[in-house]
Amino acid sequence: MNYTFALTGNPNVGKTSLYNRLTRSSRHVGNWHGVTVDKASKKASYDQNEINIVDLPGFYSLTVYSFEEEISRDDILSGNNNLVINICEASNLPRNLYLALQLLELNVPVMIVINMMDELHKRGLTIDVKKLEKHLCIPVVSVSAKYGFNGNDLLSGAVAYAQEFKTNRVKLPYLSKLPLKKVQEIISPNLTKSGLNPIYASIKVLENDSFVIDKLELSDKQKSQLNSLGDYQATVAKLRYEFIDQITDGVIVNREGTKKTGKLNASIADNADKIMLNKWLALPIFLLIMSGIFWITFGFVGKFLTDLLDGGKDVLVTWVNGGLDSLNVPEWMNALISYGIIDGVGGVIVFLPQIVILFFFLALLEDSGYISRVAFMTDGLFRKIGLSGRAVFTMIMGLGCSATAVLTARGLEDPLMRKKTVILTPFMSCSARLPVYTAIAAAFFTSGSVAIIFGLYFLGAVTVVILAAIFQKTSLKSGESSFIMEMPKYRMPTAERVLQIIGNNAKVFIIKVGTLVFALNVIVWVLCNFSITKGFVPVGGGESIMEKISALIAPIFAPLGFGNWQAVTALMSGLVAKEVVISTITSLGGVENVFPDSLAAICFMVYTLLYVPCVATLGAVRKEVGVKWMIFGLILQLAVAYLAALAVRIIVLAFISGLLHGIIVLGAVTAATMILTAILGLMNINKRRCVRCKANCSSCK
Amino acid sequence: MTLSDVKVNAEYVITQVKGSVKRRLLDMGFTPGCKIKVSGLAPFGGTVLVRIRGFDVALRKNATDFITVEAV
Repeated sequence: MNYTFALTGNPNVGKTSLYNRLTRSSRHVGNWHGVTVDKASKKASYDQNEINIVDLPGFYSLTVYSFEEEISRDDILSGNNNLVINICEASNLPRNLYLALQLLELNVPVMIVINMMDELHKRGLTIDVKKLEKHLCIPVVSVSAKYGFNGNDLLSGAVAYAQEFKTNRVKLPYLSKLPLKKVQEIISPNLTKSGLNPIYASIKVLENDSFVIDKLELSDKQKSQLNSLGDYQATVAKLRYEFIDQITDGVIVNREGTKKTGKLNASIADNADKIMLNKWLALPIFLLIMSGIFWITFGFVGKFLTDLLDGGKDVLVTWVNGGLDSLNVPEWMNALISYGIIDGVGGVIVFLPQIVILFFFLALLEDSGYISRVAFMTDGLFRKIGLSGRAVFTMIMGLGCSATAVLTARGLEDPLMRKKTVILTPFMSCSARLPVYTAIAAAFFTSGSVAIIFGLYFLGAVTVVILAAIFQKTSLKSGESSFIMEMPKYRMPTAERVLQIIGNNAKVFIIKVGTLVFALNVIVWVLCNFSITKGFVPVGGGESIMEKISALIAPIFAPLGFGNWQAVTALMSGLVAKEVVISTITSLGGVENVFPDSLAAICFMVYTLLYVPCVATLGAVRKEVGVKWMIFGLILQLAVAYLAALAVRIIVLAFISGLLHGIIVLGAVTAATMILTAILGLMNINKRRCVRCKANCSSCK
Repeated sequence: MTLSDVKVNAEYVITQVKGSVKRRLLDMGFTPGCKIKVSGLAPFGGTVLVRIRGFDVALRKNATDFITVEAV
């Protein structure tokens, strides 16, 4: 038989984890609210039944606030589901049951799965599932999806219930305290057309749910009749929670065998925020963690492994080159294989350790729950530049991959702020640009390479802040938006999950390198070493197709110090994937030959940091915010990249060419900054002007 | 007093919820009569971390301004 089961529940309760286990998928998960932003479905089989499992974004109530929550509500209301599996968090049962009550009010077939039992067990508690079943008259199951659970048991119970379900038998006593009959009388003419369940619609009308009110298409007369009944919004919520308090009384009990204590055995996780969010310690801890991540990824461990692989690659290139030579392989084929492919592609593969370590730490930030604390701490700052603390998630994910990061912006409440966040995220240096920096920095700045790389990451973040602040002063200004963000509990990922993360990212990287980078390298190599008329013309002679094209474009980049065709070719190839920038440079002569000096190398790295992201990101941006904003972003990225690289070049040259020039430039910059600050200050003072006396006094408040 | 004027580690009881995000707050458990505790205040001002019904929620000023509370 065929069934459709929808997984629903509050955000961050484990719906997607459960979905992944039941359907053997690998949808993205993380310990924060807003990970799942779209609907997905896949079939799972149980005992000759085909079950379509639907994963939905989390929400708190059938009255919704954002686009992803609408997706979930619409799916539940669609009636397509044979069963709604409501997943609840064990340590947070009261609030989770709020949605369960609404599902029962709607009279859909619903089953409760209480997840994360392990966290409750750690505190010496457990849940009397039978008691809850009796109160709600629906099946209740307790699991710990993280630590091995039996999907078949779950599905068998679910299928059995879906087959025999007729209607929900629970009595919700609080409903009698609401004037539902009166409401139904008022809205009954509109009910059939709206297609809504009468009880659900009546309750929602009392809750002032705009979706239901609009769907009913009430007349002004009906609306004023409803208004005269009074404001029941707070009452409905209060009654539901009071009922929940009643039915959960005696449901959370001490585990057998553990001592009965007066208080809960609070775990470390419960109290960690006393330290992590402590007024004095929060910021230093954050800086410590971020620098730790940087040092391990780009310094000690990462660099060590990359250097090891690099050495091996060089040996391989020399060996293959010599071997092919002695086999009398034609010169062009030898060059293609040794330098185009092995050296070029190999030059990207050597970064596998650093990429893997970086993604591991990002996943740890996500899974531990710490990233929500960062959002909480930085929200005040972000608001000053027109963004939200929640944008921190997107920005930090952008350190891994901008394309996936951009998708997480969907959870942001305010449309304008979401668009700005999406456009600005590519300025955060993604992991694909890392091989470019590391290779160039290693060649020109052997001792200070980690500092240079850190500086580039810092520049990316600073650019985001400056641009956001500029947006605020223009027509792209964001107003105040609301921000109600739940802090997830601190959690540690299991060893299984850690290995899964490392394995996944390594796999994605190798596939990307094996296909895209490889193909592009061959194409670029051919374009650089062949001419339409003359066939094989070894690169450097200016005869090949690519050399001719780039020669036309290159002069644009002359003011930046890297106006040669190799650098330009590398930048163009970076449109497809940023790693290709470095593999192109390697196969076109190597870093030392492409950049005349270290200044040109720095300017090139700055340009690479800020210019357009790869086409995958552009596609994601277009999908999230539309073509117009994507193009705006493109132009912005190209302009900012060029200006920033130019600025770096001018400033450094000014300093080098003499103290006098340095002082002049410094003076000019300082004066400009002071003028800018004064202007902004005046604008701020303007805002704080007292409404009554129109002066800048603080006396009347 | 509103939830904007609270002190860290102090306990309060909610007396009223108003404003444009009233529905959302009510749904998340901020009902009149509910006891809460302030877990933290954000360093750069305006955002409050509240422990309510066993979980933590961060709220900005434009939400806390509309939640009236009394000290316990």
